[in-house]
Amino acid sequence: MSTARLKRKLGDLGIDTSSRKANENFCLIGTPLPPLEKSKDTGEFVPLWKQEVRDEKGRRRLHGAFTGGFSAGYFNTVGSKEGWTPSTFISSRSDRATNKNRPSRPEDFMDEEDLTGMRDDQKLVDEHEQMDLLGGTQDEMSKRGLGADDKDAITLALEQSLLPAPKDSVGARILKKMGWRIGQGVGPRITWRQREIAFGRNPDVPSDDIDEEAKKHLYAPRDTPLIIVERKENFHGLGYDPGLGLHASLGVAPEASKQSNGPRLAGGFGLGALNDADDDDLDVYDHSQIRGRNHHAYDANDVHDEEHVLMSSRSQGARDLGKAAQPQRPSTGKVVFRDGKQPLNGFIISEKPVAEDLCFPIPDVPKDWTPNPKRVWEMEKANSKDKENASIPPPSQTQSHAQWKKGISANQRGAALGETPLPSAPRSIFEYISKKDQERIKNIAASRFAPPSTSDDPSPGPSLPTPPTITHTEPHVAQAALHGFQPFTTDPTKQARYTAYLHAHANPGSGTIPPAQKPGQSAEEFAKEINDYAKSAALFRPVSGAMAGRFTSAAVLDLGPKIIEGLHTPAAQPEEGADSMDVAEEKLKEEVKEEAPKVHAARLGMYGVMTREVCTWQPARLLCKRFGVKEPDLDVPDDTSVPSAQTAAPEFTGAAPADEFADASAGVTQAEGRGSGSSKRDVANIGMGEDDGQGDDVLTYERPGMDIFKAIFASDDEESDEEKDRIDDVDEVDEPPAVSAPAGPSNPAPDPDVKPPPSNGIVEDVDLATFKPTFIPRGSKPKETEKKERKNKKQKSSKGGILVSFDVDEDGGDSSLTAARQKHRDRDSERPRKKKRKDREGDGGEDMWVEKPLPDIVKALPVNLSLDEESQVSGQGSGPPRARKRAVDFM
Amino acid sequence: MAPSRGSQALARTLHKTLSNHRGPVHVVRYAKGTAKYVLSGGQDRSIRLWNPDLGTEIKKFEAHGYEVLSISVSHDNTKFASSGGDRSVFVWDVTAGVTTRRLAGHMGKVNVVELNADATVLASGSYDSTVRLWDLRAPARAPIQVLEEARDAVQTLHVDATTIIAGSVDGHVRTYDLRKGELRSDFIGQPVTSAIPSSDGTTLLVSTLDSHVRLFDTTSGKLLNAFTGHNHTSYRCRACFGHEEATVVCGDEDGAVWAWDLVDATVLQPNPPPKVHDKVITWTEHHPIDPGEMVTSSADGTVKVWRHPS
Repeated sequence: MSTARLKRKLGDLGIDTSSRKANENFCLIGTPLPPLEKSKDTGEFVPLWKQEVRDEKGRRRLHGAFTGGFSAGYFNTVGSKEGWTPSTFISSRSDRATNKNRPSRPEDFMDEEDLTGMRDDQKLVDEHEQMDLLGGTQDEMSKRGLGADDKDAITLALEQSLLPAPKDSVGARILKKMGWRIGQGVGPRITWRQREIAFGRNPDVPSDDIDEEAKKHLYAPRDTPLIIVERKENFHGLGYDPGLGLHASLGVAPEASKQSNGPRLAGGFGLGALNDADDDDLDVYDHSQIRGRNHHAYDANDVHDEEHVLMSSRSQGARDLGKAAQPQRPSTGKVVFRDGKQPLNGFIISEKPVAEDLCFPIPDVPKDWTPNPKRVWEMEKANSKDKENASIPPPSQTQSHAQWKKGISANQRGAALGETPLPSAPRSIFEYISKKDQERIKNIAASRFAPPSTSDDPSPGPSLPTPPTITHTEPHVAQAALHGFQPFTTDPTKQARYTAYLHAHANPGSGTIPPAQKPGQSAEEFAKEINDYAKSAALFRPVSGAMAGRFTSAAVLDLGPKIIEGLHTPAAQPEEGADSMDVAEEKLKEEVKEEAPKVHAARLGMYGVMTREVCTWQPARLLCKRFGVKEPDLDVPDDTSVPSAQTAAPEFTGAAPADEFADASAGVTQAEGRGSGSSKRDVANIGMGEDDGQGDDVLTYERPGMDIFKAIFASDDEESDEEKDRIDDVDEVDEPPAVSAPAGPSNPAPDPDVKPPPSNGIVEDVDLATFKPTFIPRGSKPKETEKKERKNKKQKSSKGGILVSFDVDEDGGDSSLTAARQKHRDRDSERPRKKKRKDREGDGGEDMWVEKPLPDIVKALPVNLSLDEESQVSGQGSGPPRARKRAVDFM
Repeated sequence: MAPSRGSQALARTLHKTLSNHRGPVHVVRYAKGTAKYVLSGGQDRSIRLWNPDLGTEIKKFEAHGYEVLSISVSHDNTKFASSGGDRSVFVWDVTAGVTTRRLAGHMGKVNVVELNADATVLASGSYDSTVRLWDLRAPARAPIQVLEEARDAVQTLHVDATTIIAGSVDGHVRTYDLRKGELRSDFIGQPVTSAIPSSDGTTLLVSTLDSHVRLFDTTSGKLLNAFTGHNHTSYRCRACFGHEEATVVCGDEDGAVWAWDLVDATVLQPNPPPKVHDKVITWTEHHPIDPGEMVTSSADGTVKVWRHPS
């Protein structure tokens, strides 16, 4: 409406409203859409993240893992949104000719690139395939073979003739360019005469059909037959012909073999029973016929008859067939069985009667005869014994050759002729040795090599030459091996012999006989056997020493039923059986002997003390907690809870030398008075810690008045502390303070859980020669010091304020002590503060390791030792007692 | 014969047959408290909760990958532990039917598992010849302690207030006394398949693979009685006390349940007992309260509940 008014107004003004100028729009509403076509500039810079990869059709081909996973699969492989669906059965009845029921091919899953690639590949394959011209390859053969299944020979031949000739291969083309033709041989041309000779004809024999003109020309060389070696793909034996029977293949029955030798006729029409088989009618793919045949590279039809050389029986086979077919024909009608029946179609009646198997009647078995293989074996044994007894004669047969050779040696001949014998070369080193030495060596050798049996047991092999090398098994090895793994359990005979061998060697003097040479066993075999035994004895003996306890050998090696190899030999059985029985009995005895008393007791049912073993067992602390049981207080050393004195004690010499040491050390009167045997501590000595002699010197002198101390050391505020401390000490020795005030230096806060001090740490005798400092975790230290301090206090209170310092304990090994602290050592008022500091140290550095305080005896020793010694022992120039004394002196 | 002494005849009338297991049943145990329910575990890797009174299966617990060889129920019946071929011990929540803990550490299959009185510690004995004690309070993965004294597979465990009794194939029954901190190992001589102390802890009933069940005095280790007649040579069978420990009951490998008088070791009638299971009886357990009920499990795949005829 407004626009109408405006138009009108404009019209009034004389402006043409329809003109373009008037319609010009200067108003711009909204944002313009991007141009439909993108800029053509393909070289435009696109940031990397915007770049896309597209194929030739403009499809996106690379997808992100999160966005394009499915798409990638969709586009690249399967081609349907549902993914790949397995083929379902579709009845071919409804849609017969469609492609759908065709099985899926790999091509169905290929994209363009793959297809082109495949096509390229196929081209390449085609080139290759054309190389074999008449399909001599296996491929082609198999194809044809397949074809032959459904097509008969005639249709195949028709096909072959109708189909266009295959394209020449590259090689054939080159050859053709060089002048070669199909059917010719390759090579320089030859004359007619050469050619005739090559074909096996006599060129000099005149024949009427020889053309004079022919002699003037040069001919192509004779075609070389291409021999196709057939691949063996079956599992028949070499030379076996699947079509032939045994007789035929051996050439025994000529008629039968001829029958099968002839080529088979291809079935089909056009060949009646009365027709002669032609070349064409033969089954080309008769397997058995191909075998003997040679193929030409080119089976050209237009070749001259004479040049057509057939190396095979193709045409000849046809002729044979013709002959063979001849007698076959009457069989259909004429020959009948004796009863007038005709044989089945295709069968003929053999003229030869079937060979009867020769049968022999079973010999008559005497009625009283029973099978007794033993007899046979005994005979055998007797024979072998005879052989043994007559050990010289049999060798005469075996050594006949040697004897014959040796028979007339040069020496013998010379002797016969009466020649003077030549001085023969010395054979061995023995000839240079004196007689005496030789004898000695022989004795040694005999005693060394011969098994002990040879001397006292003349049984089986009197004529035995001593085995060349018999390894000797040490008695202990044999003894061990007897209990070890038995390697020959599968062969009881051998096992028995092995055990016998081991027994013989385990106790050589006991008279057990080692296994002797078996009858019928040569010396070498025997030596080898013995060698084997020795080796296995060395190998299978159980581990000795520390490792022995870790293994137990299986009592029974279960190898299933033991099967004796070879024929049943009843003669051998009883001996071996007895042997093994003996062995078993012996073993049993040994076991009984070795049986532990508890096993014995258990077997007898005498349960009780014999079968019970009691030992300590440390349950885990947590376990006790979970079970609600108090942890048993065992003597098993525990690194944290057990005081150092206990652990330290066993490290040094035992309790026995303690007395000696105490006796020897003079001047420890008081300590001796209490006695090293005194195991209990009372209030009087409890503060002495583990150190009896400690503080003796301190006790001997009179303590100066307190004001002197105060005048020298104490500051004003400390004074009050000290006083308080003393007051406290008197009454609260045993009760733990609820909270040790941070500034209150009164009493070091003792751990309420701290165990009472061990009561057995009195005698701390230290062998100075063997002493070495040990380290304990620092965490355990404060407790100890605390304890000691408590004791200290106790003593102080009881003794009425005698100043005793036990700082020695802590400082003995503490190298971190400062001089200032040493100076203040004797002052009780200083103690709590130091203590606290120590506590703090202990708390802070629980994991640090500090030197363990010296055993108290060491600290005590310096009292009795010279100062030099002391300094050596404690490793500190300023030993604690000395420092103390100095402080006194100082005052 | 012995009613004068109060030794009651064994419950020999079949009340129910629980036969949902496929394959051998290795263990069957009563719940604690009034013991109204029964848990059984077998070769089919499942544990089943039954109502023996009605003979119905209530629940099936499945998590084991191998056979279930042992079950132990906690004092409050809220959870139980099981073990078997998969070398770890499972602790189950009964109502949820899921494992709350899986304790792995054994190197062989775990033959036996036992909870202590308040289910704070779990003991497991394994083919690897160790007994491991696990803390069920703390989430720590490692066992509290490993008892490695046994020289062969541990077949049976018993945990009471202060002792742990472990029977092993090496022929020993080892009593770990927590209070004394000592280990008493009694040599029996034959592989031990079960060791159960009497409630007062003075005697110990041990069954071994030489077809003997023996009663030992725990303090001296002396033999008090030997119960024989049954056939027990190769499988794990469990001997247990009858009601009020007046009898000894043991299922044997022929499938018969034998009962002896505790004191004079005579076989209770019928002698010999009838064959009630087709195969070896793997577990025999008498009802903790009810004098007339007993369960047996067998390799023939059944659990049978026995009661007095009524």
